[in-house]
Amino acid sequence: MPHPPDDEALIAALRLASGLDPVPERVSAAARAAFALRLPGAAVARPVAVPAPSGVRSAGRDRLLRFGADGLVLDLEIEPSAGLVDLAGQITPHPGAGALVEVRTPRLTESRDLSPAGRFAVTGLPPGWFSVVCHRPDGPPVATVWTRIGP
Amino acid sequence: MIDRHTIDAVLDGDQAAWDAMVKRLSPLVWSAVRSYGLSPADAADAAQGAWLRLVEHLPGIRDPERIGSWLFTTARREASLLCRRNRDERLVPDPVEPDGPPGPEQAHADPALAVLTADEGRRLWLTVESMNEPCRSLLRLMAQAPDAGVRQLAGRLGMPAGSYGPTRGRCLDRLRAMLAPEAAP
Repeated sequence: MPHPPDDEALIAALRLASGLDPVPERVSAAARAAFALRLPGAAVARPVAVPAPSGVRSAGRDRLLRFGADGLVLDLEIEPSAGLVDLAGQITPHPGAGALVEVRTPRLTESRDLSPAGRFAVTGLPPGWFSVVCHRPDGPPVATVWTRIGP
Repeated sequence: MIDRHTIDAVLDGDQAAWDAMVKRLSPLVWSAVRSYGLSPADAADAAQGAWLRLVEHLPGIRDPERIGSWLFTTARREASLLCRRNRDERLVPDPVEPDGPPGPEQAHADPALAVLTADEGRRLWLTVESMNEPCRSLLRLMAQAPDAGVRQLAGRLGMPAGSYGPTRGRCLDRLRAMLAPEAAP
């Protein structure tokens, strides 16, 4: 037997049926534009727990994100900066010479070469949705799930 | 809701097919995120998240019938995360929960999906029109004024602001009972 709908589902149905809250054009435009961000064949890196580093206060830990897929680990550190976001990351093991990292947002993509230690950084990102993609010389690209950093 | 032909074209990278799918399903996504009382900017953010997740999950989609319920559930989850986050004003990444397709029980439980398919919307509002006051006016006003705050809605209904939430909860309970399959003639 299906569950009875919760309040939000019922409210959504009432609003939808009344037709009085039309979808704003910029919301539809963003949905159409999202299609350009697909990455066929990419391995999707999901979040994995970051082990608590000793001596680091728990308050700082939620700015550290770790994603993993296809033998690759992506560690990201998020730092708010005057309403924007700085992102620093490291990819282990190093995917090899010629690897390229893209930090993608719905509006812009920033590309970086990896340092010999597998590090990269991007500053001044707009808050909102982002995904980090590692293009490897051997093997399909690895992309983190879309993650939101709110203002 | 979305046919096999459209989803095959989408999987082949056809932007026009994607645009058609967006046109069909974006009212569903929008109503899902707006039902959490989010501002237009936050609702836009949550809706965008749902579409980005669909793009991410496209290769795994086998059943076009399920896209609507999957999107609806995903949009609601993003909206509910944003709600929680607004109460807790830190600039931190949202936790990402494991992404599974919604279970079969959810595919039929959401009246918003039914509203998309048939003249269920009319049936829904006929049911509301048959309710007693204050429920009839409250639900009508709530749907007609998506940006009105609780105080404004309560004022127009002539009730104290503190009564609005509990009254709305009771009215939704009653509507739910009236819509339940066993209550149908």
